[in-house]
Amino acid sequence: MNLIDFLGTNVEKQGNKIAIIDDETKITFIELYEKVKKFSTNLEILNQEKIISLVSENSISFIVAYLGIINSGKIVHLISPEISEINLFNQLKSSKSKNIICNQSVKNKIFNYNSIETTIFDIEEILLKQNNEKIKSSINELAYLIYTSGTTSEPKGVTVSHSMIEFTTKNIVKVLGYSNSDIDLLPLPLNHSFGLGCLHTSLYVGSTLVLLKNASNLDQILKSLKKYKITTLASIPATLTKILNFENKKLEDYFSEIRLIITNSTAIPKKTVIQFKEILKKGNLATYYGLTEASRSTFMIFDKNNGREESVGRCSPNVEIKIINEEENNLKFGNILIKGDNVIKKYWNNIEADKNIFDNWLKTGDTGYFDKEGYLFLKGRSDEMINIGGEKVMPIEIEQTIKNIPGIEDAVVFGIEHEIFGQTIKLNVIKSKNSDIDKSQILSYCIKNLEKFKIPSKIDFVEKIPKTDYGKVKRFMLK
Amino acid sequence: MNNEQESKEIIKDIFFEVFSNLDKNDFSWEKEQKDYENWDSFAQLNLITFAEAKFNISFTLEESIEIKSANDLLRIVEHYLT
Repeated sequence: MNLIDFLGTNVEKQGNKIAIIDDETKITFIELYEKVKKFSTNLEILNQEKIISLVSENSISFIVAYLGIINSGKIVHLISPEISEINLFNQLKSSKSKNIICNQSVKNKIFNYNSIETTIFDIEEILLKQNNEKIKSSINELAYLIYTSGTTSEPKGVTVSHSMIEFTTKNIVKVLGYSNSDIDLLPLPLNHSFGLGCLHTSLYVGSTLVLLKNASNLDQILKSLKKYKITTLASIPATLTKILNFENKKLEDYFSEIRLIITNSTAIPKKTVIQFKEILKKGNLATYYGLTEASRSTFMIFDKNNGREESVGRCSPNVEIKIINEEENNLKFGNILIKGDNVIKKYWNNIEADKNIFDNWLKTGDTGYFDKEGYLFLKGRSDEMINIGGEKVMPIEIEQTIKNIPGIEDAVVFGIEHEIFGQTIKLNVIKSKNSDIDKSQILSYCIKNLEKFKIPSKIDFVEKIPKTDYGKVKRFMLK
Repeated sequence: MNNEQESKEIIKDIFFEVFSNLDKNDFSWEKEQKDYENWDSFAQLNLITFAEAKFNISFTLEESIEIKSANDLLRIVEHYLT
């Protein structure tokens, strides 16, 4: 099955049901299918290229364009509307895309980029064209291309096939129990693997998907839970933590009908997991571990009887994970490798990156370990390790400890050069609102809870920690 | 309490925080690094970090290496505060 089959099945079964809600606009499965067909026909007449770049904020038009490009037999190159001119230039060059489709506001922005000479189409303009030609294209094996903005400075192009999407979507449904009676709230951008996976799941089971444009608008998220009688919410951990501080008193009421909150594998503060276990009376908080290259490789449901608040769970059905060290022995702690039908075969035009895939195993660059019951615990990226005079430390361990200090909203640690130790630990902290915590108090907490080589040697209070849209710290930007 | 007495109290507190098993009766301003059970290079780093945070100062590498007793730390801190 491909994504168009997902949609087609629901057109047959429940065509008049609302598929997507975007603010005051609603669209049924039949209406969506008709728009997708019209878009793909009009697009095919416009050009013969095999790859088309799509840049848009969340909207029904985005979904029409996304599925329309796929239905026309092309690959969608997904780009964040927030992309800088230089990154857009580099991605277009690497992907060899010669066409950009976008919404009006993005179009106005890109027109001001002098380095971009690509043809730019407006989504609505394509839909308004009148064509009576019937074109039936065969669907490309590959569905979309995303450049991992990630946490490193050199993005890699990742192409995801329809068979990977089908495999992953069926695993999501099997483990997390999505059904057509769900109403799913998605405040996450659709140009990322997390948001896309949620869209694919809704299209597969035939639930109703409520789109929001801004994951930071907590008031809108909470009001939407009530307004649309939401049953599942997709959210990054940072949003969940902010919600706890934003409106703690009434949260049980807002989340009274929620059966599932799904979040991604960016480290979730333990106290956030524990508090949401209390708030969700009818449901569970769940997380997963995955990369764009290997989506949803584990799942973790934080049910009330499972105390593993810092685990990302067990392997997804028919996905294998192994832990190896530099000598490639199976060990308790080491680098994480993934194998399964959710894993890419190769990167997009990147022979160097392809070296991370061998014998169908993807070397993720993440480190971690399994406990005796097969629950995976992440310990950060292998290239994030800080070496303090020979003592090796993963930032996540220190960050998790520091985030437990009252008065701290967020924290990040990283290595800085030191004349004696080679590296020492620098800590950047965002204070909670009205917090008067000082450096001495943080150090006192650290010395009681961490080994002495893990105590930060420098602390700065900062306003912001650089992160991707999905809450992963951009460590190369830290100083 | 005058400034020097205040600094002394803070430095004593730092020593008790960094050396959590240090008994109040065992503290002395003259006691040297070699007489502490667990004053290694990391503890040295912790002492400096705490002092920098508490007094809002920044030690040079040479000063960091010079510190071999509570008295040494007090002397360098006083140099910054006067």
